[in-house]
Amino acid sequence: MISITLNGREQSFDVEGDMPLLWLIREEAGLRGTKFGCGIAQCGACTVHIDGQAVRSCVFPAIAAQDKQVNTVETLGSKDVPHALQTAWLKHQVPQCGYCQSGMMMAAAALLKNIPKPSDADIDTAMTNICRCGTYSRVKAAILDAAKEMSS
Amino acid sequence: MSMTRRMFVIGGAAIGGGLALGVIGVGTHLALHDRLDVQREGTPKDTLLNLWIRVNEDNTVTVLSPHTEMGQGAGTGLTQIVADELDLNWDQIKLELAPPTTEFSNGGIFEGFVGEMVGKAPPWAEHIARNAFNRLADLLNMQMTGGSGSIRFTGWQVMREAAAAARKMLINAAIDKHGASANTTTDAGFVIDGDKRWSYGELVEHAATLEVPENYTHRAQSDRKFIGKAMPRHDLPEKVFNETQYGIDRHVEGMRYAAIAHSGVFGADVASIENIDEITAMRGVIAVEKMGASVAVIADNPWRAEKAAKSLKLSAVSHENSKMNSASIEAFQRKSLQGDLTDAHTVGDVTSIKSDSSETVEAEFWVPYLAHATMEPMNASAWMEENKLHVAAGVQNPLYARVHAAKIADMDVDHVVFHAHSMGGGFGRRVGFSMSGDNPIMWIDEVVTLVKKHKFPIKLTWSREADTRQDVYRPAVLANFSAQLDINGKPNYWKSASYGSEGGAPASMTPYNVDNVQVQFANHPSPVPTGFWRSVENTQHAFFNESFIDMLAEKAQIDPIEYRLSLLDKNDRHAKCLIEVAKLCNWKHGVNADGKAMGVAVQKSFGTMVATVAEVSIQYDKARVHRVWIVTDSGVVVNPDSAKAQVEGGMLFGLTAALYGRCDIENGGVKQSNFHDYPIIKMNEAPTCHIKLLQSDNEPGGFGEVGVPTIAPAVANALALFGKRPTRLPINA
Repeated sequence: MISITLNGREQSFDVEGDMPLLWLIREEAGLRGTKFGCGIAQCGACTVHIDGQAVRSCVFPAIAAQDKQVNTVETLGSKDVPHALQTAWLKHQVPQCGYCQSGMMMAAAALLKNIPKPSDADIDTAMTNICRCGTYSRVKAAILDAAKEMSS
Repeated sequence: MSMTRRMFVIGGAAIGGGLALGVIGVGTHLALHDRLDVQREGTPKDTLLNLWIRVNEDNTVTVLSPHTEMGQGAGTGLTQIVADELDLNWDQIKLELAPPTTEFSNGGIFEGFVGEMVGKAPPWAEHIARNAFNRLADLLNMQMTGGSGSIRFTGWQVMREAAAAARKMLINAAIDKHGASANTTTDAGFVIDGDKRWSYGELVEHAATLEVPENYTHRAQSDRKFIGKAMPRHDLPEKVFNETQYGIDRHVEGMRYAAIAHSGVFGADVASIENIDEITAMRGVIAVEKMGASVAVIADNPWRAEKAAKSLKLSAVSHENSKMNSASIEAFQRKSLQGDLTDAHTVGDVTSIKSDSSETVEAEFWVPYLAHATMEPMNASAWMEENKLHVAAGVQNPLYARVHAAKIADMDVDHVVFHAHSMGGGFGRRVGFSMSGDNPIMWIDEVVTLVKKHKFPIKLTWSREADTRQDVYRPAVLANFSAQLDINGKPNYWKSASYGSEGGAPASMTPYNVDNVQVQFANHPSPVPTGFWRSVENTQHAFFNESFIDMLAEKAQIDPIEYRLSLLDKNDRHAKCLIEVAKLCNWKHGVNADGKAMGVAVQKSFGTMVATVAEVSIQYDKARVHRVWIVTDSGVVVNPDSAKAQVEGGMLFGLTAALYGRCDIENGGVKQSNFHDYPIIKMNEAPTCHIKLLQSDNEPGGFGEVGVPTIAPAVANALALFGKRPTRLPINA
């Protein structure tokens, strides 16, 4: 059994230690906002926070999350109480197909936690997620906007 | 105005109340088929009813769109068109995905657009028509999203007509029922006559009993409140707040999970599984099924299924394709171009020019196969409920997929329910058919076959590797070009030959004024599955043609924009966009002091003219693109913000292909497998992009694909200024 504090709730899962956290989250816990894109940590569609840091869950063994705080995109915000990133994402009309965007927003949220006022270069360095629709310029604009909003 | 073409508006009472309007198209497809000399089953009375709007009794209007969402956001544009033409407030309009039934087929519209695109149908269109549209039944089963056609065909040519007719019917209802005067008009959801007002909702019941008017007027440009505005997309709040359910997110109680392994050789079946005992003993594995070219593993968790599928040791049935590789394909294409060729475009007589080798320019170009690489890997779910088969997937053609699933299951289509999901990218990957005749949606075949046998619900997910290696690829094409310059540096002939049937499409033809032109192509069946890849034949041919014209300018030692303009009529749209893009980027020819250079390219596709300039440098021997400027000319732009998003996204899609994209064939299969060896441009490599949309009141052009074709030649033409002109893609191989 693997015990994880998932989205604030301590839970145990009877899975193999080498099962990637992604599949525990999506299928054992039934939280499907975290996406499968590549399985080799290249695209970032599966980004979650472990103890506050962005992690690509498709290659992160479940056993390594034992006793850690795992937060998924479901904790980011809601229509009633949106995260500043979500507000900025709508303002800039960022998503196209939207599939990579939960991972994008999770990567951005971790970035803003580490660097509240990121430069363009900071964003380029931190945001290595793939968007096949090509929304990068809007992602960047929305992050800068959210950073301004959060620090004001 | 009434619809002058072979379509007309029909109306009537909607089930459950309200006024429903649609369009019947009958002649369009018949006309195309007459040209193609294809015999069709069925009679003209088998009309195609499509694309409805519904005026509801609660004074709202529902747009029933046949187009599935894959990132393009066209649904919002459709509601903008209807809201303006019906004179509505924004909060009155609702967007709904039409169900996958023949009443909402858009085959007539889609085929009409194939006809419009090709004019005189060349062989590649004939191929599509024969494959996809040769029977009326097939046409009735089309519910297509593609061809950058949602706004310009469904929206502008069909829904706009239905909305205008509906508005007239509501006015007529007020006149007929309430004795309203001839001056009666509309005002944001109300019919008004002086100080009398009736909501549309009050009038729909009576309107539904009236004849559809033959004559109605479109609203004036000055009355538009939504067309031309950056209205927010309807689908984005649910995407941002994580409520969108993609196919891969479908869940059904008791669901099991399947993963797949393919034979690895195109066309070859799996012969045997060498380690089946080892696989069935793995944790969670429920069954292993051999199905022709693939083997499926069913397990209690998708990762366990995938882990087992990756551990399979398979042998393929011996197949001639197993010796096939990229070099043999290229050699075959080169040999084919020396053989019998088909004429695509002829002007004057190229043989009338005497050869003068000193002024002759020759080039050979090559572009590789490319996978689509949608972010959401291919997947489908299926389950039985009572006596019905349910199938859930994201596809660009839900009705076609439903009918296809019924065929695979050997069930009556009325017993198959299809759930169309939002797609995590489409780009032509999720259309039901392909250029080569290969089946691009075999994941539906696979899951249906498994559910038929095992009865429990199954979700099948292809790995990224399976998707990269089992796609219907952008065709690899070899092309050769020659031209000879006269004493003024102008070409006195232009000759090109390319491999593949798309070489017969308008994209292969030079837009430049040359007295003697010969465009030809060679075509043979493709052993590698090929399909529709965002912007289709424009992606290869814009690279060839726009690289070659630049080579002529280089030889003539003339600025490449000036050179192009000297070969275009003054009012030509190519010229217009070239002039505008030169202004936008502050065009300078040559390598500047910072070691950067600009390259240009122009191409018309899907009704939209696009000129692109790329600013490029060479860093560590690799091309680096810093800034891009794009000018489009496309008539009415319904939603400029969405249009810009598509153009920029298309440019990045094309830039990935230009710099990195290659699917090499080795031993009959694709070598690349995932994003480490099939890389996609990331944020740190994405150039800043400046877009100017030229607008007019002409019919709208498409946007979904038009950003793709011009970036590769623009980058190549910039690199030529460093003495490194690429004639083979990808550039940063």
